[in-house]
Amino acid sequence: MSDLIKENEILEQIKAAFQVEGKVSSERRTEVFADKTQVSSILLLAKNQYGFKHLNHIACIDWIEENKFELVYILYNHKTGLTLLVHTKIDRENPEMENIDTIWDQANTYEREMREMYGIEFPGLVGAKEFILEDWEDTPPMRRDFDTLNYATNTYFHQAGREDAQDVRTTISTRSGEEIPDFAKKYSRDK
Amino acid sequence: MMNNKNSQTVAEYIKNWSRKNSLFVMAYGTGCGAIEIPPTMTSRYDAERLGISGAATPRQADVLLITGYLATKTLKRVIRVYEQMQDPKYVIAFGSCTINGGMYYDSYNTINILEKYIPVDVFINGCMPRPEAVIAGFQKLQEKIARGDADNGTRYKENLEWYRSNQKKVIKNWRMPDYNW
Amino acid sequence: MSREKETTLYIGPQHPGITGNMMVKVKVKGDTVTKASVEVGYLHRAFEKLIERRNWLQSFTILCRFCVPEPDPMELTYARAVEQLEGRIVPERGQYIRTMVMEMARLQSFMLWYAGQSGSAGLYTLGQWSVGDRDYILNLFEDLTGGRVYHMYIWPGGVRRDLPKGFKDKALRVMDYLEKRLDEYDKLLFDNTIFQKRAQGVGVIPKEKAIDWGVVGAPLRGCGIKHDVRIDEPYEVYDKLDFIVPTHEGGDVWSRAQVRRIEARQSISIIRQVLEKMPEGEYYNKIPNPMKWSIPAGQAWAKTESVRGEVGFYVVSDGSEKPRRVHVKGAAYTNGVSVTEKILVGQNIADVSFILNSMGVCPPEIER
Repeated sequence: MSDLIKENEILEQIKAAFQVEGKVSSERRTEVFADKTQVSSILLLAKNQYGFKHLNHIACIDWIEENKFELVYILYNHKTGLTLLVHTKIDRENPEMENIDTIWDQANTYEREMREMYGIEFPGLVGAKEFILEDWEDTPPMRRDFDTLNYATNTYFHQAGREDAQDVRTTISTRSGEEIPDFAKKYSRDK
Repeated sequence: MMNNKNSQTVAEYIKNWSRKNSLFVMAYGTGCGAIEIPPTMTSRYDAERLGISGAATPRQADVLLITGYLATKTLKRVIRVYEQMQDPKYVIAFGSCTINGGMYYDSYNTINILEKYIPVDVFINGCMPRPEAVIAGFQKLQEKIARGDADNGTRYKENLEWYRSNQKKVIKNWRMPDYNW
Repeated sequence: MSREKETTLYIGPQHPGITGNMMVKVKVKGDTVTKASVEVGYLHRAFEKLIERRNWLQSFTILCRFCVPEPDPMELTYARAVEQLEGRIVPERGQYIRTMVMEMARLQSFMLWYAGQSGSAGLYTLGQWSVGDRDYILNLFEDLTGGRVYHMYIWPGGVRRDLPKGFKDKALRVMDYLEKRLDEYDKLLFDNTIFQKRAQGVGVIPKEKAIDWGVVGAPLRGCGIKHDVRIDEPYEVYDKLDFIVPTHEGGDVWSRAQVRRIEARQSISIIRQVLEKMPEGEYYNKIPNPMKWSIPAGQAWAKTESVRGEVGFYVVSDGSEKPRRVHVKGAAYTNGVSVTEKILVGQNIADVSFILNSMGVCPPEIER
């Protein structure tokens, strides 16, 4: 099958084959919203038949309000210059996702990092458990309910006199005993 | 030739003079600030005219440069390397991240105040310090050696309990020597 | 039966030959590497978590520190992603200045690469020359932005300040000088029999597997595949400029060095064209109140080409004043971990540092 060169052609084909939602978000960029079980079949189809041979990135977002994680697979076709984004949502309580290590080798690195930073399980993933952190026993750090300032204040020594969200103009004027000059009053945080 | 104010003996003066004029810096780039070390050592801001050159292993080095922030994973290796260096040894800390945590003060992986973990001789502030600032820092270290004040190794040995308790609070899997034999 | 026993060596964080602060754990039999694994995490600062606590303008100070030798592509990619979300248009003069800053950053990173690659082969003179000449470009950066290493100059809407007076003449003089010096570096490095014999046939990436493995940047062009984000998806003013993107067959350290050698000269030619064609006008599309600035909700993906490969930013906004999620793909993320582990097998242990320099492995990009 020759490489399709139009964004909406690819969208129509994937919609017909898998019954998923999708849109053409901008020039040469197609987005598809799929279910967790359909993702690896869409990726295989895109790689083998539509020519999307390059995996650019796998992004992960924590939607704590909806109790879900969102994963985005970004693919790229060198010959036609099209980008395909495949979105999927997985459950936040017991997160588990299929391992696409067999399709692209480099996905191993992405999945190891997501396992460490978010706690998502990928059955069949090989590689050392600790990729970036060492001897970490707390909750996976990139989740929204992990408070990093609290952890840092309790574990490491904190320099006194350092508060969050100071307005540097008021601090300088209190310390040096001068008025805030006119040129510094141009922007305000209240409006 | 003799400095009457401090009244050093001739032997001490010669010893300090020869130590300060041949400093061997260990090849370990621990953080961001290591990007300004190649310009300091090469032809524009030549540091070799002051006697500063490089050494490959900790057993052969005098000065340890902590160039920036330290993640806890690196802190464990830095402690090991620091304890392998032999007396007399000196530590220079670069950047504002070693003084009070810098811009990573709320990060769960970087330490904030370096003085609590290993003793430090000279702090150079900036982000990152320019090569001229680095050379000024080395000159301050040389003045400190000439006065006879640089006692980094003895400070560490005398206060080992305190340093160890701070280090063990941060590093959980402690598999390094305890010096309790 | 071989009498050599298999041992494990840690080419560790403290090593004169390693590029940055990382560890390569190799299993060797005699002198040959049988298995390699790359360990990173010594420089992890939790950037993406810190960005969630700061507002859109405060995260600029964090972004340049993602990649220490070449900080500007990170700022540009973030600015382009935020402009995609907001629909903000950059005026033309701003686009020309941004292109010039990117090429200057690329050129000074090439100078650092010359020092690293020849130093790991034992040829130390070239490092002294090229790092000394790199300071001319850092002087230009200091005139333009105020800092030598971290600039914080490019932000959504354009650039922060206009070019200072007399900048164009100074820059053209520096470019003339550097072009002559690049010829001298060729004589030292590429005409040198030692480098030729050490570099040819070492660290080969097979051509048919390169795209599958996720190789990007100069290693991909060194396999004979012509792919560069500047010509495939042009951004800023690259579609109005005249430059070539070189390729070389072979896939070994020698071809990658040849590709970088030609690209350095192309950077000089691009800077000259930009300085000649730069129009007058506005350089910045003003943000109404930077202290209280919120971006409409959405998700954006932007890519640029840095000296190591393609850099990608995935930015998610939920309509508030702080970014929801910024997920960064550094150029060395695939080049440095999975590809390097594969091509180190079967090589001589003295070539490990040589190959790392040639693949352009930069640890702060991998672990942020």
